[in-house]
Amino acid sequence: MSEPVLRVRGLSKTYMQGKIPVHALTDVSFDVRKGELLSIVGPSGSGKSTLLSMIGLLDKPTGGSVFIDDTEVTEAKESDAPRLRREKIGFVFQHFNLIPTLSALENIDIAMRFARVPKNRRRERAIELLAQMGLAERINHRPSELSGGEQQRVAIARALANHPAIILADEPTGEVDTKTRDMIVGILKELSERGQTILVVTHDTAVSQQTGRIITMRDGRIESDEQIMG
Amino acid sequence: MFDLILKNITQRKLRTGLTVFGIALGIFAVIVMGGMSEHFNLTFDRSISLTADKIRVLPEGGLFGASLNESKVRDVKRVPGVLDAYGVLQAPLDPENIAFFGGNVILGIPPEKQQLTMKDTGLSQGRFLTAGDNYRAVIGSSVAREFNLNAGDELEIKSKRVQRTASVTRARNFTVVGIMEYTGSFFDNSVLIPLSTAQRFYGRTGTVSFIFAVPDSSTDTEDLAKRIELNVERVTTFSPEELRRQIEQSLIIFSLITISAAVLAAIIGGLSVMNTMLMSVSERTKEFGLMKALGAETKDILFITVGEAALMGILGGIIGIIGGGAFVYYLNDYLASRGTVLFTITPRLIMIAIVFAILLGILSGTYPAYRAAKMSPMEALRYE
Repeated sequence: MSEPVLRVRGLSKTYMQGKIPVHALTDVSFDVRKGELLSIVGPSGSGKSTLLSMIGLLDKPTGGSVFIDDTEVTEAKESDAPRLRREKIGFVFQHFNLIPTLSALENIDIAMRFARVPKNRRRERAIELLAQMGLAERINHRPSELSGGEQQRVAIARALANHPAIILADEPTGEVDTKTRDMIVGILKELSERGQTILVVTHDTAVSQQTGRIITMRDGRIESDEQIMG
Repeated sequence: MFDLILKNITQRKLRTGLTVFGIALGIFAVIVMGGMSEHFNLTFDRSISLTADKIRVLPEGGLFGASLNESKVRDVKRVPGVLDAYGVLQAPLDPENIAFFGGNVILGIPPEKQQLTMKDTGLSQGRFLTAGDNYRAVIGSSVAREFNLNAGDELEIKSKRVQRTASVTRARNFTVVGIMEYTGSFFDNSVLIPLSTAQRFYGRTGTVSFIFAVPDSSTDTEDLAKRIELNVERVTTFSPEELRRQIEQSLIIFSLITISAAVLAAIIGGLSVMNTMLMSVSERTKEFGLMKALGAETKDILFITVGEAALMGILGGIIGIIGGGAFVYYLNDYLASRGTVLFTITPRLIMIAIVFAILLGILSGTYPAYRAAKMSPMEALRYE
């Protein structure tokens, strides 16, 4: 069995709501192996998105650690966070979060710009990823000229641009119809089969049932962690 | 990143246009007011350099416009260290319309001292005054242009004298015998006539407005100026250095007033950039959060936002300089036909305007950029 790409150990996050502490995450621990497609499910407020923010270095935990490729990212200095995000993590958001003024190609290019990838390699890689997502004909289209499914595919291509260790997808099918949802899940499964580790937060059981493993969260804790037999 | 910056500002055309216009107006003001300040600086500089080898001797108290008895010329000549001295009578060309700036003046000077006064200034037409000339004049280039005169033409000169309770204006035609080359000094606005003719025409026989004392080459001009004051009664002297100091002091105040007005206008332009950038940052909060999630460094976000502001500053600066330059060109052209020029755009002024526009853009973009760069990516991504 391969080594874990992601290790979460005793992760906790407590917010203060006025003077009252709110425990968004309490002692969360789990491992994710290379190529795994894992979904995190649970009701609203169960801590799924908070967990994703901690792993993605978008927020700091109050306790515990996260290791990606053996690097303890929770210990990283603030100044190292951008580099770790570029090298280790790819994000896919519910609302696509594409930059409206940029074309599909430029939206992918920008992620590689921040990683200081040379221009010719950026273009090559962006075209390759868009072709992989079936969007070879749409490279110069702006987000407003693309359908929801096409926008999410551009967002997935952008997440893959810098060869991240893990893709964190927050409700990636929340804004699309069922047909597009199935297509996006199909893409995620295909990527996972090719060795890409993907962690998906979802409300949708039709999505979670197609992943290889489901972690269910409730009140900031892991309620269950089950493998799905394909 | 430059293409990103360019894209961002061209995507919001109206807003960018209005902001650039705001900066352009500010820089326009810098060019126009600065051009006026530069013109006066240069004019005085050239004027002083033309007479830099002479000490001015004025009536006590240093009043221009008062009179000195012509016998003082002899007294000044007797002071050791004075090589030569001669009186000049000064009067406005048109006593009924005395201009505050750039008015034309009559200089009554002994014909034989003409070239000594004008140093190496040449003539574009005709000849200098000679002994025996009476109602003849050599005119400056601006006067020639204003009255459309050539050598051989007549120029009407007026004198105004107070007789009892009334003032009587006399007019007389003088023949233009020569036109001076452009000097960029106040001599361009002067009309040289023989001193004796001037004294007669203005009813000021035996008086002069001031005396030029030419020091010998081995004498320190400041010391000589003091010696003249000690040896000649009731006169005040200005050595070239003292005159320069005095004029520079007045010019500093003038420059401060004009430049302050221009800077104020430019700062208002800068505030418009800040306002635009704050709005832009606020609108693009999510975009900046996304960039951070994608691994953008603080310096990347700063570069993008400050770059946008700086580019708007540069664009505004260029438009302001072109607009201001065109305005000054046409206004100078119009004013020149009336005998005066008010503006000079120097390379130094253009450099100042460009640097100022860029600094304005950068400074007014810094705070919005700082806000954008310091945003927490998670909060920014949640921002609606």
